[in-house]
Amino acid sequence: MLKELLGSLFKKPYTIKYPFSKEEVPLPKGFRGKLTVDYNKCIGCGMCARICPAEAIEMVPHGEKKRKPKFYLSRCTYCLFCADVCPVKAISPSDEYEMADYDKYSSDLVLEPPPVEEAPAEQVKEGEKK
Amino acid sequence: MDNILWILFQALVFPGALFLILLAFFYDWFDRKIVARMQNRVGPLVAGRIGILQPFYDFVKLVAKEDITPAAAVRPLFTTMPVMAVAIAVFSILFVPMLSHEALLHFEGDMVLVMTLNTFFSIIVFMAGWAAMGRFGSVGAERAATQLMGYEIPEFISAFSVCLLAGSLSITAVNNAQAQVGIPFILLQPLGFVVFLVSLQAELEKVPFDIPEAKTEIVGGWLAEYSGKKLAFFKLAEELRVVFGAALMATLFFGGNHGPLLPPIAWFLIKTTIAVFIISTFRAVAARFRIDQVLKGGWKWLTPLALLQVLITYLVFLVVG
Amino acid sequence: MSAHNIFDLIVGPQHPMLKEPERFVFKVEGEYVVDVEPRIGYAHRGIEKAAENRTFLQILPLVERVCGICSNSHTLCYTLALDELLDLEVPPRAQYIRTLVAELERIHSHMLCLGVMGHEMGFDSLFMYMWRDREIVMDLLELISGNRVNYAMNIPGGVRRDLNSETMDKIRKGLEILEKRNKYYKKVFSEDPTVLKRCADVGVLKESVAKSLNAVGPTARASNYKTDVRKDDPYVAYDEMDFQMIVYDTCDVYARNLVRVDEIIEAINICKQVLDKLPQGDYKVKVPPFPKPPEKEVISRVEALRGELIYYVKADGKSIKPYRVKIRTPTLLNIMPFCEMVKGNYIADIPVVLESIDPCFCCEDRLAFVDVRTGKRWVWSLEQIRYLAEKGRLERG
Repeated sequence: MLKELLGSLFKKPYTIKYPFSKEEVPLPKGFRGKLTVDYNKCIGCGMCARICPAEAIEMVPHGEKKRKPKFYLSRCTYCLFCADVCPVKAISPSDEYEMADYDKYSSDLVLEPPPVEEAPAEQVKEGEKK
Repeated sequence: MDNILWILFQALVFPGALFLILLAFFYDWFDRKIVARMQNRVGPLVAGRIGILQPFYDFVKLVAKEDITPAAAVRPLFTTMPVMAVAIAVFSILFVPMLSHEALLHFEGDMVLVMTLNTFFSIIVFMAGWAAMGRFGSVGAERAATQLMGYEIPEFISAFSVCLLAGSLSITAVNNAQAQVGIPFILLQPLGFVVFLVSLQAELEKVPFDIPEAKTEIVGGWLAEYSGKKLAFFKLAEELRVVFGAALMATLFFGGNHGPLLPPIAWFLIKTTIAVFIISTFRAVAARFRIDQVLKGGWKWLTPLALLQVLITYLVFLVVG
Repeated sequence: MSAHNIFDLIVGPQHPMLKEPERFVFKVEGEYVVDVEPRIGYAHRGIEKAAENRTFLQILPLVERVCGICSNSHTLCYTLALDELLDLEVPPRAQYIRTLVAELERIHSHMLCLGVMGHEMGFDSLFMYMWRDREIVMDLLELISGNRVNYAMNIPGGVRRDLNSETMDKIRKGLEILEKRNKYYKKVFSEDPTVLKRCADVGVLKESVAKSLNAVGPTARASNYKTDVRKDDPYVAYDEMDFQMIVYDTCDVYARNLVRVDEIIEAINICKQVLDKLPQGDYKVKVPPFPKPPEKEVISRVEALRGELIYYVKADGKSIKPYRVKIRTPTLLNIMPFCEMVKGNYIADIPVVLESIDPCFCCEDRLAFVDVRTGKRWVWSLEQIRYLAEKGRLERG
């Protein structure tokens, strides 16, 4: 192996100096990173919560009649069964992989449905009535 | 009075203990960087500009850690071995000429004393492993003592065959004889150089001969039970031994600190760095031997080759006159 | 040989030579190993019990995480069991893609094992080089599945993702580089003098002992025992591939290393054939997310990376959760041959021999029953498990 070892002295090291140069890390398309959810598409069927093997999805009430999923990413195994089973394809993986945190339930690691918007609709109704 | 102060300065600061400790750190960084580059990776990178402060940071970290003495250990031996190891390592380097063409300490026959100090160091390793009274410590100590029987005699003989050429048993005399003759002794005694290189690798306990401290087999062997300041001193002693081995190789075979244009200390550093490079390459290119293979190889190959070298030198002297 | 010279060298749950926790007590005399007592079970996590509380598809990620290195073998075996349980007709394109991922996993795992073998020998340069080249395989697997380990590609009825032609080109390029590098490593493992000194005639497992203790995988094939599930009982697309079973007959660590290197080269060969012959068509059939199979029990087996892996799945026809999932992993069978191989060798040979059986202790979750009153220990056989399962069902009504 001597020739190979001495030859490597003159080549660039294979190491990617990760925290100092992040752009060298190659990520393919379809990489299983942090989940992103498009809550506008979600119809609240609850299939993702039923199929999740790690029980990381909880259906929480949203407004008066609907339910939306809440994702606890600290339990997620990134199997993407929820993405496969969703009928409207609202869940998809992103490119983000730096998710270390001190708190399991911090806001980075829990995906909540956005708050319900009711006030503008009420005001218009009041104006119309008057 | 003046003279004594100058001698003390030379012994303790430059080129004595402080300089040698800094040199040991530098050569540790150099060895790690060279081996890492050969393995296509980066090596120390973050400490200091190119990782050059890494060995110093390691030393400071170890000194700051908790120092645990096992309850069953033999306390007097356990606590004094690290200090004695560093002391012997520094003391043996003072016999090698560095700043001038004469070493700080020299007398006729100091080669024998230096070789005896080498044996003392191996005995310190044995006592350190035994004093820890642990399972792995005793296996490591026994392996160190067994390995001593394999490499020590070829090392003595190959070093003494160089002294035959120089006509004197003093390292300083060997240093100056190469300048008088004009040829470094590696060209006159290549066989002796190879034997010396292999037995030096075994003495410094580097792969392929790092059997007493085999991490994957006996969890660190004789070093296993040491922690904190004692471990820091042992690691410093090991690094100083690398400096000593490389300096000895440079002085005996590469021509010492003689050379055109530059001051002797510069030539000493250049040649010692080349010797460290050779030792590091040898470390990267081989797997670890087994203890029985070291003994068999030592007595079947190294000792006969060393004796052959002595015989050839003697015959050449007879012929040439 | 006096008895009081024997002392215990405990290679305990934590040791630098072990990558996973197990406890071996070696009885050592001087530098010779005289006897060894293994104690397994440190990595038992209760996966089989957890599988009883999950639906059939939810068990897939659970079973994948039995082991990190051979995760695809576990999902493949379980998926084959489910295919038979649910009576599904898997399209040929899916079978080929399953073969491709299984062989890529074999390449990555054998390179890992050989690199760690180099590290245990003290040859760190070989370890660094093999793991550097293993990155090529990991990148290819990431390209196909999105993840470097735990690929989650197998699902009953097919595979989760398809291959497009751009991915196939990159795989071909990667395989070219891998083939060149592995031929070089084959030369290192068979000709480098220091490697030979550590590996030749070390850890000898005679053929008769291998057969009587039922060694599996490369450990058996290096002792001239011809057993390979891919040839004996072909699954996915192996019956349409042209490859050889690698068998050596020197029965030592050197032979096991060479079996693994040759299997890497054969695996590259199989991957190239898969890419050339990949049929068009669907890559999966539709499967309901909560299937309810009829009452049936299925055994499936694959050639996992270390040997033969068996899954037993029993459905009772009334619920969406299985009645029992039983896993028998290959390293469990290789531990007794290890105990035979290591006797008479030096302490220095212990890590080399242990790594040569490619231990994957996290797979070994077997339960042993101990009767505290009589001190009797036993494990259940297949007939006894079936009898107990029937008895339990009848008792529950």
